[in-house]
Amino acid sequence: MLEAVQLTKRYSSIPAVQNLSFTLRPGQVLGCLGPNGSGKSTTVKMLTGLLEPTRGVVRFNAGNIQDDLQSYRKVLGYVPEEAHLYPYLSGWEYLEMIATLRGMAFKEMQKKIDSLLELFSLHPHRHASIATYSKGMRQRILLIAALMHNPEIFIFDEPLSGLDVTSALIFKNLVQELGRSGKLVFYCSHVLEVVEKICSDVLILRKGTVIAQDSVANIGRILGQSLENTFLHLVDDVDTMTAARNIVEVMGAA
Amino acid sequence: MSLLAPSEIRTPWDRYRRRPFWRLVELFSARIFRGGGDADAEGLDLGIGLVLTLLAMPGGFVSLLLLDKYASFLQWLRGMTNVDPLAISFSDEYFFIVLSMTVTGAVAVWRWDAIFPDRRDFINLVPLPISTRTIFFANLVAVLFLVGLIAIDVNAASCILFPTVVAATQTKFLFFVKFALVHALGVVLASIFSFFAVFSLLGVLMAVLPVAALKRVSIFVRGLIVVYLVTLLSTSFAVPYNLWRANRVPKWAYLFPSSWFLSLCQVLRGRPTPILVELSHLVLPGLAFCVAVALATYPIGYQRHFIRIPEMADTGLSHNFRQSRIAPLLQRFSLRTPFLRGCFPFAWKTLMRSEMHRLVVTAAAGLGLVLASQAAMNAFQSATGLRQAALSPDAISIPYILTFFLIIGLRAVFEIPTDLRSNWIFQLLLDRDRQECASLARKVILSAVLPLVLLTTFPIHFYLEGFRTACLHTLVVAIWAGLLTNIVLVRFRKLPFTCTLPLFKQHSIVILLSFCFGYLIYAVSIPEFESSALSEPVRLLSMVPVIAIVALVPRFLARSTPEIERRLIFEESSARNFELLRLSD
Repeated sequence: MLEAVQLTKRYSSIPAVQNLSFTLRPGQVLGCLGPNGSGKSTTVKMLTGLLEPTRGVVRFNAGNIQDDLQSYRKVLGYVPEEAHLYPYLSGWEYLEMIATLRGMAFKEMQKKIDSLLELFSLHPHRHASIATYSKGMRQRILLIAALMHNPEIFIFDEPLSGLDVTSALIFKNLVQELGRSGKLVFYCSHVLEVVEKICSDVLILRKGTVIAQDSVANIGRILGQSLENTFLHLVDDVDTMTAARNIVEVMGAA
Repeated sequence: MSLLAPSEIRTPWDRYRRRPFWRLVELFSARIFRGGGDADAEGLDLGIGLVLTLLAMPGGFVSLLLLDKYASFLQWLRGMTNVDPLAISFSDEYFFIVLSMTVTGAVAVWRWDAIFPDRRDFINLVPLPISTRTIFFANLVAVLFLVGLIAIDVNAASCILFPTVVAATQTKFLFFVKFALVHALGVVLASIFSFFAVFSLLGVLMAVLPVAALKRVSIFVRGLIVVYLVTLLSTSFAVPYNLWRANRVPKWAYLFPSSWFLSLCQVLRGRPTPILVELSHLVLPGLAFCVAVALATYPIGYQRHFIRIPEMADTGLSHNFRQSRIAPLLQRFSLRTPFLRGCFPFAWKTLMRSEMHRLVVTAAAGLGLVLASQAAMNAFQSATGLRQAALSPDAISIPYILTFFLIIGLRAVFEIPTDLRSNWIFQLLLDRDRQECASLARKVILSAVLPLVLLTTFPIHFYLEGFRTACLHTLVVAIWAGLLTNIVLVRFRKLPFTCTLPLFKQHSIVILLSFCFGYLIYAVSIPEFESSALSEPVRLLSMVPVIAIVALVPRFLARSTPEIERRLIFEESSARNFELLRLSD
């Protein structure tokens, strides 16, 4: 079980996240929604241990993850928001490096990398430099890197960006499958339809604080509308139609 | 482009840069310096100013080293009276011409991919209401501008310092002026020739080869050019001597354009020989030929490779890195922990494939080569035979000079980050308290340096001096290289290429002075002692206590380092030495 307890992060006294608490149980797929600057990335960084909270604690199986980060990271699979990879390595070399650093056995590593590259349709390009990969191909490399050591916890930060339709469909089914097999999945996204479809629960952030947290079904039922409308209702007071009209007016202005 | 324009000319330039053509010239000039290509790596931006300073350094550095040769007092001490400066500067003039051609040629090879507009330029510029002809001419103007800038920059220091050093013993100012003008003409023309020679070769390849073949072939062609430039540099001690003694024009002189420019300088100084006159006649036709070929093939290459970009597959630079079967086996035996097994290949691949890192290591090795060539020249000048020369302190110092610059260069390059945004994976995976960064860096440095020592020093000395001397010399060089590596890695706690650049520290001056002092000990004093001891190898035993002390110092320093300063870091933070009291608040 992964628990965030009263998580707060301040950057030079400016709060990015305040008193964030939630629990992620095995089999649960928790979606995290929020507009830009709502504290999603900071939350993800605290959950992965890349950032230490100013206050509060992240617990995995009742222990503070900061006490033994290495053990925690052995069971963690993380896909960051942007696919920053070393462009002069080939896809194979990158995955081999990650697997080696994770201490995977040589034969197991080769077998897994080969199979996953095949499944993600990257096998023919495995020896090409990452610089030549499209955004979607890089994203698939990140997904393989997060999956190949069979972790217990998955943290996905916008994992679908750049993926082609088939890969995106495979991935959406994969997330649901991971949930069913008892893994813990934390899923950050801007795409409301995806969160609505694949997540069992949802957490909505605004200006660093949680403004709604429940199962996807409950949130819709309570407010009597779709997740998209609920999100707009809770998070932004912007009239999107008026904003679109204003943009067209400015474009046409002399 | 504001970096290219000093502030006083920025205002008139600003008027020009508002016009599309000049804005494009500015864009292409900057991209040639800062890199084009399709790679989106967050490369280290050295800045144009720093690049120009680095390019100007070798000429200035070598000029200052020549003070020893031309100082009148030192000449008098050596019993050299009535020295003819034009005669003794013959070989040095050649060296400067070679240096000028090598540095300029190396720049052209380095920016090979950036000379022509690429896919990124096409995507950004062609949809704009600018004709492709305008893009063509703007890039051409940018190339020509940079040829001029580099030719002047590379030779600026030597054009002032070398004539000053040579004319130090002369009373007439006119001698200085004449010498400086002829020297400047020779080296600048040599620079321009070198750049256009590379440019024309690239143009011919672009005009003849299809895109995919060009990408494969260009790597080998660039390698061959580098080998040629190194050959030019390393034979610079022998060419002037053989040219001076020849009865007729040697055939090899046609392959060394540097000898044509030297001949031109001698002819202009009024010291012609029939051979030099004949060679000097090759300068203008040779230069005109290279420029003509470059300008003729450039439009063809532009048409074939730029205009047709949309017809080509969107594959970018497609390097194919096949897995070696031997490398993983070697790594499994020599690298014991997952950290070393994962990070050693990463470090080597970064060194081999990241342009910025390759450049810095090449620059350090190049500086080492320049000084080693100088040492070789001194060794051969002061000895009667090859065997005597090989045991002189100058010749013995060659592997020391090369290993010194390689070790320092590699140590320095570890500090330069590669795509910092990508280091998140190491932050996520590595245990900061149990890092083996120093061990990793040592393995990387020694795996680069020791094969070089074994493959060059041993065979040469085996051929010249026999098995025993070759073994002893190689062993001593290897031991000292290992010790120097340990010293430069004291308190090293970064994974190479993953930490932010170090900030300027108060002890940076101390580091610089230590570097100079270290060079004097490592590449001057030790070879001098070894040179005298190789004739009586028992004397080498007196080195043992010194070696033991030097080996123990880094261990002692490592043990005395507090725990907190042994943790792996990804960010260089400046320690605050004092806090402001803000009494006025």
